[in-house]
Amino acid sequence: MKAFIDNWGLFLLTRELAEMLGGVRGLKLFMQYEQYKLAAAVQAAIECGADCRRPPNDVVALLFDVARRREVLREGCRVVPVQEPKKPPPQITVEYFQMIDDIVLDKICEYVAKSPSDVISEEEALAYYQMLVSAPFYVMFRRAIYDRLAKLYKYSAILDVGAGTQDPLDILAVCEVRGARCEVTALEVDQRLCADLEWLASKHGFNVVCGWEQLQSGYDIAVVQNVLHWATDPLQVLTAARGHAQRMFLSQGVVEGAGIAFVMTKILGAVRAMSWREAEAFTRQAGWRLVRRYAKYPDYLALYR
Amino acid sequence: MSLAARYRCPACGADALVAITPELLREAAEKGAVRALARCPRGHAAVLTIDQYGYIRSALPVREPARPDCEITDRAPMSVRAKLETILEKGPVTDADALLLEKAKAAGWVICL
Repeated sequence: MKAFIDNWGLFLLTRELAEMLGGVRGLKLFMQYEQYKLAAAVQAAIECGADCRRPPNDVVALLFDVARRREVLREGCRVVPVQEPKKPPPQITVEYFQMIDDIVLDKICEYVAKSPSDVISEEEALAYYQMLVSAPFYVMFRRAIYDRLAKLYKYSAILDVGAGTQDPLDILAVCEVRGARCEVTALEVDQRLCADLEWLASKHGFNVVCGWEQLQSGYDIAVVQNVLHWATDPLQVLTAARGHAQRMFLSQGVVEGAGIAFVMTKILGAVRAMSWREAEAFTRQAGWRLVRRYAKYPDYLALYR
Repeated sequence: MSLAARYRCPACGADALVAITPELLREAAEKGAVRALARCPRGHAAVLTIDQYGYIRSALPVREPARPDCEITDRAPMSVRAKLETILEKGPVTDADALLLEKAKAAGWVICL
């Protein structure tokens, strides 16, 4: 009941999520696989010499933290065994679980001994990132929240903060399906992604701004979708967004209810893991006023003014 | 003198124009219909079927050419292999595919001659 009250907005997406994962059975299978992969990663890390009381680095520390929250790791570094599900995962998540294997499970012993940047090169991390953001399940999720919760098609000037290489396309797709004319401006501070964005913009007709300094004000809404964990200063991002837009739709994966995907993004270069309370505290501190909170975890979803 | 006909890009939905030349109309009148290649303002190619009156009967997307000069290396992880194989075989269908191919090259997962 508490989970329902906390995350009522996600239930508005039931149809989309069920379609995506193949109904309740698919959702159950997805969760079983998440738990199985998490337990396997924790077991492997401990067998490779990681101490769960004194983890060797941030990646392994986050793995243990997530495992404790999911009750996979208990007192005395005891790992609760989880059986591998007999059925394959939902079709749309097959690539995702293969990525978990490639990035987390297959290299877990290396993460115990070395820093992630010594295991996965910057170029590889960027390629994995591209694969992740354009994965069908993630695209469907983003389009569902933009359409059903944020209702982005109602706004004419949309600022996509920390856009990456897929988000503006999803916003445009939502507007197009609804027959709305949205003017999307993609803001990116990562110069490596800016060139890609400019190429995409020339084909799809949106604006690109590289760096906050170049950005003008007056946007109807700012979209901040899974950006804060990549930022060295989340408060600065939210404060700057406040200066440029009247409203903000915040979507942020948080550590409560997080799965092994959180560890994967940390390996790919995410700076921090955030709780929903932290996300909300940062947002209020930046001067935003909560209009509607749709969900607290595993994705914090809220509209601010 | 040539006229222009409007069509909707089958790849991105953008409004686009194609020139309908007298030669095209003549050929369509002889054969019943004629096919022409056109590009929308966003660069997507489409094959148009045009009738003798200059109406566009259909617009089908054209896939970018495949890359037989590229191959996947042993360094490519399992999760990306199937996707890369499809991209190399059929060409990048979406922009996300094209970006992934570029990133995979930079990561040393794909080598092109």
